[in-house]
Amino acid sequence: MKAPLWGEFRSQKRKSHMLGPIQRIETPMHRFPEGEEVDYVIVGVGAGGGVVLQRLARAGFRVIGFDAGPFWDTERDWVSDEKGAHNLYWNDLRITAGQHPLAFGANNSGKGVGGGTVHWASFAPRLHPSDFRIRSEDGVGFDWPITYSDLKPYYELLELELPVSGPSYFPWGDPHGYPYAPHPMGGVGDVLIQGCTKLGIRVSAGGPVAILEGSRADRPHCIYRGFCIQGCKVGAKASTLITHVPDAIGNGAEIRANCMVSRIHLGENRRVTGVSYFDPEGREHFQKAKAVIVAGYSIETPRLLLNSACPGFENGLANSSDCVGRYLMAQAGNVVLGRFEELVRMYKAPPAHALTEEFYETDPKRGFARGFAIQTVGPLPIAFSKQMMTAKGAWGWGLRSVMMDYNHWAAFGFLGEILPNAENRVQLAEEKDQFGIPIAKVTFNLYDNDKKLIEYGKNKTMEVMWAAGAQEVVQEARYAHLVGAARMGDDPATSVVDQFGRTHDITNLFICDGSIMPTQGSANPGLTIMALAARVADCLISQGEKIFNSNERDMQRPPMRRDLSPPDTWGHGMPTFSS
Amino acid sequence: MNYQNAQGDRRPVDPRTGKPIGPMAQPGYYPGFSTLSQQKFWDAKTRDVVLDRVNNVPPIRFFSPEEAKLLEAICDRVLPQDDRDQAHKIPIVPQIDKRLYENSHDGYRYVDMPPDRDAFRLGLRGIQEIAQQQYGSGFLDLGPREQDEILQSLHDGKPSAGHEIWKKMAVHHFWLMLVSDCAEAYYSHPWAWDEIGFGGPAYPRAYMRLERGEAEPWESEEERYEWEPPANSLSGKYELVAGRVEHFGSPAQGGTH
Ligand SMILES: Cc1cc2nc3c(=O)[nH]c(=O)nc-3n(C[C@H](O)[C@H](O)[C@H](O)COP(=O)(O)OP(=O)(O)OC[C@H]3O[C@@H](n4cnc5c(N)ncnc54)[C@H](O)[C@@H]3O)c2cc1C
Ligand code: SF4
Repeated sequence: MKAPLWGEFRSQKRKSHMLGPIQRIETPMHRFPEGEEVDYVIVGVGAGGGVVLQRLARAGFRVIGFDAGPFWDTERDWVSDEKGAHNLYWNDLRITAGQHPLAFGANNSGKGVGGGTVHWASFAPRLHPSDFRIRSEDGVGFDWPITYSDLKPYYELLELELPVSGPSYFPWGDPHGYPYAPHPMGGVGDVLIQGCTKLGIRVSAGGPVAILEGSRADRPHCIYRGFCIQGCKVGAKASTLITHVPDAIGNGAEIRANCMVSRIHLGENRRVTGVSYFDPEGREHFQKAKAVIVAGYSIETPRLLLNSACPGFENGLANSSDCVGRYLMAQAGNVVLGRFEELVRMYKAPPAHALTEEFYETDPKRGFARGFAIQTVGPLPIAFSKQMMTAKGAWGWGLRSVMMDYNHWAAFGFLGEILPNAENRVQLAEEKDQFGIPIAKVTFNLYDNDKKLIEYGKNKTMEVMWAAGAQEVVQEARYAHLVGAARMGDDPATSVVDQFGRTHDITNLFICDGSIMPTQGSANPGLTIMALAARVADCLISQGEKIFNSNERDMQRPPMRRDLSPPDTWGHGMPTFSS
Repeated sequence: MNYQNAQGDRRPVDPRTGKPIGPMAQPGYYPGFSTLSQQKFWDAKTRDVVLDRVNNVPPIRFFSPEEAKLLEAICDRVLPQDDRDQAHKIPIVPQIDKRLYENSHDGYRYVDMPPDRDAFRLGLRGIQEIAQQQYGSGFLDLGPREQDEILQSLHDGKPSAGHEIWKKMAVHHFWLMLVSDCAEAYYSHPWAWDEIGFGGPAYPRAYMRLERGEAEPWESEEERYEWEPPANSLSGKYELVAGRVEHFGSPAQGGTH
């Protein structure tokens, strides 16, 4: 915990690194000399990793954030082009198996500083209070070791940090309001509002999304260009790359981009000592650390733990419960598409701009547990052509013909809760990647409740599309938002980490990303992942040196550190409704 | 149904006159709309990437000349462009070849699939075997109807030959990959954006007319015309891949939310 040393910003030839047209990092980034022990190594600077990195740096810890992908210079690297955005995704090979195999790549995770928040649509709803207790309330899934009220102050904090735009009254779950103005509607939002209103379904217009409706500090407002999933060059859409990483660097954190962590090392006394990683030239190094935080996404996190098996942990590091890689979840993300007589032009406006959570909670009349949300999406031409291929079976002239009608179509994303199951899991395949590390094999099956929920939910979503006046409605199966695979819980026999992200098996090894979520609700996970990360950070900071030199596990709830937010968090926005 | 369209004529037809349509420079309902004409309003990096795609068609490096020729004939049916004139055909095979040459993929492979490179080679062989078994000649020597029948059998998941090959890879996964690759090559091209009325890159200028499908001042209004696929094609109708009705079936291949 020394004051930072300033060194040269080596990751770019130029001194200034652009994060949008205005925001830039001028300060040279700190470099920890090779061989020096740091306080924390964080594996993966995405949604969870970015937030915890920023907090630790601001609190004065010596921390390195590793990311397997680039440290994006958004002006020079990103494009307003669907195909050209291919390199934002995790494109290293994964094997997908099971009766309902998941698609990865553009469907799932990011690679590069900012992780998945670089290409997320940035819907940022909270979980509902019921989500934390579905075992107790509905007899399915798993209860969280924390409740909604533990996370609520962190939701409020992150809604200011990103910040989140939305209506000043959001009626579902724990009703609340948003501090920044809702967005104007695009064509798809109009269709959702029309359909919902016809059917008497409440709908939230203009958010919640982590997109700026007006300019703030060095970040411009949204220009409604619709390329959110291709990376927001404008800087209006929040990603940890632009919201948290600059502040982390300003406070002495080092980012080691294009560095793939291959193994976590176990030393004496059941404590980890650091990580091995491959630098951009493919050379292997060891980085010593007093504690390690894994935040590599629900596939890479379990993969790294499984690949770090060693004497004492033959089944994978921190895997005495055999839960590492298990209880992987994806949300059912069927896309429902409707054709309208009038033009829609769904490529304009952020894909995420309206939603309803009217069907979120369990309704015994429906014959299954839990529920779903319906949201706007705005597929660009390539994505839309593939949707027509699966939803209508289009090819040849049929594909050309329906594509000529692109501007007549609107699309909704159904977002349904799939329950955790031990057999939905990440394992290691025989095949190896370019570094010689075994790749991940992911097995995914739907079970009875999931199938009933999807059947009901996709029909309801189609009903809304018809009610809006569509002439034709089709849909395709899809899965989105992987979470779980290293879940948190109170019982070390049935979970991997405790409520502060600390592995039950190893006191100086933490997990801080979507993997620790025991269930997923029907809310997009990003905000929850970041709120959990801020809470994990408060625990690490309050325990200070104890984490580095003792195996004692202090379960006291840490004080909330509102003073560690990035600049510009406070003193803006609307006073909001809070129950 | 019209029969004026000769066996060999692969162009779509005007249903009122029965006459073939095209070839023309720009099919679609937005005559005169040109995304490329707006390029000075795009950011430099986007302009570089899009212009490179238009101006520098990659050479064939992965496929042999024979394979490339066969794939060309297949892609001509999977994504037919007979309504486009020669100067405005959008290159498909060079994009697929580039992807395979660079061994780039979407970050996953189905457990019942070999690596993409092998899958394409196997798929080409499988298609030839079906052609031999069904018609006693190679795919290249067949008319459009026969070619479509073969592709339709892949679409339906019921190939009549090449069973050794389809044991090594799932037919419908190969089909989805083939159609996806063709669609990606075509709909990433600015001429295809013009055809379907997609506004294209919009940074830093922005879109300002978000509702009711209104056109930006630089976009075009829709002017529809009637057309039908040629009578000798099978791809004009819509049937789910591998006849799947179960909605958990063919999973989506693109990212949305
Ligand atoms: C198209 C799309 C749209 C989405 N839209 C939304 C949305 O609207 N709202 C929402 O809430 N969520 C959305 N998501 C999901 C959201 O992006 C993810 O849930 C979230 O980013 C996951 O956070 P994470 O911290 O678990 O991992 P990530 O954000 O994926 O970060 C993991 C990082 O770790 C790095 N990494 C992994 N392994 C290693 C290693 N071994 N060494 C070094 N680095 C490594 C990766 O490069 C990556 O940068 C969307 C996702 C997609 C694909
Ligand atoms: S629509 Fe808005 S938030 Fe999305 S990419 Fe464009 S400017 Fe960014």
